[in-house]
Amino acid sequence: MLTIKVLGPGCANCKALEGVARKAVDSLGIEAEIIKVEDYAQIMQYHILATPALVVNEKVVVSGRVPGVDQVTSLLADAAMQAP
Amino acid sequence: MPDMVLRLLQGGLGNLAAYLAAHVLLCLVPAFYIAGAMTALVPKESVTRFLGRSAPKWIAYPGAALAGSVLAVCSCTIVPLFAGIYKKGAGLGPAITFLFFAPAGNILALVYTGGVIGVDLAMARLVLSLTFGIGIGMIMALIFSREDLAHDRESDALFAGQGKIRRAGLIFLLILVTLLLAGTSKIGLLTNAYIQITLPIAGMDSFQDAIYRLVPYDASKGQEGVTAQGAILIGLLVLIGVTSWRGLNRIHEGYNAWTWIAMSLVGLTVLTAALGMSPHAGGFDVQFTGRFYGVLLALAALTWLMFKRLSKDELRDWLWESWRFVKQIFPLLVGGVFAVGVIRVLIKPEWIETLAGQNTILGNLAGVLFGVFMYFPTLVEVPIANMFLGLGMHRGPLLAYLMADPELSLQSILMISVVIGRLKAWVYVGWVVLFSTLAGLIYGAWVEGTPLGVLAMYLGVLMAGPGIALWLVGRHNHRRVIKAESRSAD
Repeated sequence: MLTIKVLGPGCANCKALEGVARKAVDSLGIEAEIIKVEDYAQIMQYHILATPALVVNEKVVVSGRVPGVDQVTSLLADAAMQAP
Repeated sequence: MPDMVLRLLQGGLGNLAAYLAAHVLLCLVPAFYIAGAMTALVPKESVTRFLGRSAPKWIAYPGAALAGSVLAVCSCTIVPLFAGIYKKGAGLGPAITFLFFAPAGNILALVYTGGVIGVDLAMARLVLSLTFGIGIGMIMALIFSREDLAHDRESDALFAGQGKIRRAGLIFLLILVTLLLAGTSKIGLLTNAYIQITLPIAGMDSFQDAIYRLVPYDASKGQEGVTAQGAILIGLLVLIGVTSWRGLNRIHEGYNAWTWIAMSLVGLTVLTAALGMSPHAGGFDVQFTGRFYGVLLALAALTWLMFKRLSKDELRDWLWESWRFVKQIFPLLVGGVFAVGVIRVLIKPEWIETLAGQNTILGNLAGVLFGVFMYFPTLVEVPIANMFLGLGMHRGPLLAYLMADPELSLQSILMISVVIGRLKAWVYVGWVVLFSTLAGLIYGAWVEGTPLGVLAMYLGVLMAGPGIALWLVGRHNHRRVIKAESRSAD
């Protein structure tokens, strides 16, 4: 099962990213847990420069922008294949 | 009683109309898209790589200022970026400079200030925010230099990152700026009408008169009132809002027809604002000014670039970021402007004049404290400042208010203290209050006639102090580190 974290302190971009992640998970039909991380101290643990950020199985895959649903779908598909 | 309510309503609506007039739209609409382009097309690493620990101070501080003007627009991005920059190895100084300069030096703030109040105030805001931003950064670095040294050890590979803006992106950004300039510059080439046609649509003049009666304005107070053109533009804005909501809100799932309708409407609105319109009995004249052609050319170039040179991701990111700014800022701006118009009816000019009518320390401090304790959404500080100006506030205290308001609010101070600790955060607040008051005094002195050279000299001396002190402390700390290292090597 994939663990997906959406990092962001609650701004419009973070919410958008969460929506995109959910859509991607739904379209793939895979098992995934989506966690929204809004606490600053925790966000700063991941080495990113700007929010929002997408973390899949503890690896930062996108940071600083909101990717399209198609891009996230292919990212998740890759991740699902690598770590079943 | 109902008479009073009517007056308040008219005050609010009249103010709103003035802020949606053609010349404001021509600067505000492009500015939103420029802000979106900066966020979407300029990779953050291309600027932040100058802020790393090893960067010399004369690169790091101006770099931080550049980052502030190019990378962030509203506090939702500024504070997270500040946290990122600080935690990832930039010194406290450059991070603070970024934090101070970003709210004042970003494109939306500057353009709006210039378009609504005046270019002189916008320039003063820019220059003084820059100078004092670097100054406060240096002072904070000085005060907390020992802690800074310890924090130094965690330098991060993030700042070694490359990242450059793509050429297409840069050109796109530049043409957006050209669009802004074409729409707002007051030069003859642009304001002259080159073709004039008369549309035989009767009734425009009586339409305009009806509006004037509905929303009366006072020309002696510098109010403009709503013209027929203004009413058309407001209608277009509403349409843009509706179509953009349907076309841009879920853009990450894909484009739809509404997306392109919305974009065409934006282009149409800007073109309409660039025309000259004068209704008269029996028809109305439409003047195709130089401005119209300039805007048309810029729009054509942008459209071509959009489809032929920007990547799919870049196009979508740009549209999304611009729309995000509009969604976040514009509704609050409209509400704020309306509220300002209502309040203006209630405040007596005498109150403002007694408190801040002169360029005194008290007047400037009053402006700053009002800005610090009253929270207003991004950009609303501009119409508020304009209201105070109309009520008799001196331009000095006005600048002091404009410097302080976007910097601080209880909410942002809270977020900042999470990042750098409560002590540093409140020290920062203190310096912002001090420097904003100073900035107001300096600008006010210039308005009163003090020559620029004298003021520049004062500023130079004021800033040289911390600069030299920081350099000396830096050398002292450097020697201490080397001594400690040679001792441990023995």
